[in-house]
Amino acid sequence: MKVYKTVASFTVIDMFLDIGQLLQNNSDIGMIIQTLFSLSFIIYLFYAQRIQAMTMLRQIEGTLRKVKNIRDEGRKVSIETVKEIGKPVNDPTPDVDRLIESFIIGPVSLDPAGIVGKLDQLLNVRDDTFLEDVRIIAPQATEVEAHNIENLIEAASALNSYYKAIRHFYLLGKKTMNIYVIMQIHMILPMIIKEIEATSSAIQAFRNGMPIGDGVGALVAAKLMRGHEWRDTAKEMVMAEVPYEGRTLIVVKAKGPGGSVGKPGDAIEKILNEDTEKKVKAVIMIDAAGKLEGEPTGGIAEGIGAAIGGVGVEKYKIEESVKRHEIPMYAIAIKQDISHVIAPMVEELHKATDKALESVKRIVMNRTKEGDWILVAGIGNTMGIAQ
Amino acid sequence: MTEQNKQLQSMSTSWVTLAAIMVLGGISIYMLWMGFQSYGSENPEYAMYYIFSGTAGFAVIGYMFFRTKAMTTTKPDVPKVDVVTILECPSCNLKRVRNFKRGDYINKDDEPCTRCEGNMVITGIHRRAEPKKS
Repeated sequence: MKVYKTVASFTVIDMFLDIGQLLQNNSDIGMIIQTLFSLSFIIYLFYAQRIQAMTMLRQIEGTLRKVKNIRDEGRKVSIETVKEIGKPVNDPTPDVDRLIESFIIGPVSLDPAGIVGKLDQLLNVRDDTFLEDVRIIAPQATEVEAHNIENLIEAASALNSYYKAIRHFYLLGKKTMNIYVIMQIHMILPMIIKEIEATSSAIQAFRNGMPIGDGVGALVAAKLMRGHEWRDTAKEMVMAEVPYEGRTLIVVKAKGPGGSVGKPGDAIEKILNEDTEKKVKAVIMIDAAGKLEGEPTGGIAEGIGAAIGGVGVEKYKIEESVKRHEIPMYAIAIKQDISHVIAPMVEELHKATDKALESVKRIVMNRTKEGDWILVAGIGNTMGIAQ
Repeated sequence: MTEQNKQLQSMSTSWVTLAAIMVLGGISIYMLWMGFQSYGSENPEYAMYYIFSGTAGFAVIGYMFFRTKAMTTTKPDVPKVDVVTILECPSCNLKRVRNFKRGDYINKDDEPCTRCEGNMVITGIHRRAEPKKS
């Protein structure tokens, strides 16, 4: 065995010596290789940035092709779903395209006083007109189905916006060959890809009305409400009075099972303002929250404040009304990755709702007394979750 | 998800382009070799022509590499996942899991219970857990 090893090492050494001889300057191949190295060094000296720009453009181009496929699929599924569920008389394609391209102009922020009210009004008009348009293009769709189609077209619209933004920077970069223009999109490409993949997962969920990751808050509220009488409270919001250990929980969530986040700010404001004799002693909010890399999906965290996302209008209303009535506000966050937020709910999140429910009960027991009224708000898109 | 990321990141030129690059590379190396051979031969004036042709070949390869369109390895699709519906009978606590059907939603009174005379209620809808890789 030892003899074989010695022979093998000599062969390898010989081979390296042969290669070394080949690469000598006085051999032809050595001169060729040296010329190539010198040439590539000179090229890199002058064109390094351009080569880097071209490499980045190639990566952006590959992503752009994928995003285009996903965008086209989202549009196709939207049109198919409108035809299948809504059974329109005419071809809905131009109307779906119009909705996909629709936009909202935000209010001017030069004088920020009263901007929340303006934004709220704009969002209300936008929501109402969008849903009305969906009802027109899908006349046979039920209320629940119309909400789901609305969510589906919104996802297709988001995919279209992503595609157009990437294409804009790609074409601008290609036109100018300016590395700083190209870098703007190249640097954030991994995050954009993640968001696009998350939005593309939503297509299956929205088409079929499946519960999504964002619905965990609504699901916790639905579990509390199960078997109790509920009633409408604000726009697309429901509430139920649930007795628990001598206390009464006023449980609030968006009205399901159609895809909607409702107006939790309006609901909480209305309950706190109108039912003054009940004297709500605490507000507990449950919502999905973005997790950092390394954190487990479905992890529960407890804190203080208004657990609600969005543009901030609903959060503002909740904070205002809670401050006015001087009520403590507790938050329960159910951690999830961005890729889970609008995709069909994963099992870990479904199981996490039971843990969140335990957290709600513990806060109720530790922070309130018998006879108290407690407002529990399950925040999030209630698609596929009834009350 | 990881597979999709790989799909996004992995880009390649088409096999035709690759073949063309390889052929051109081979010819260019041969040209350079001929050029250096010519220096020591009886016709050194040909050396510059050969060397010029060889280096031009490599320049063209570089240009081709950056100008040909990138292709994703497989046609990407919108992901589709298996979703299950969990049904529970409030009377006898029988639990059943089946594939999701359009129209299912949590808290819906669904099919009759197979063990008692009650109605089964949908208590959960979630993605089917993927088998853990060992």
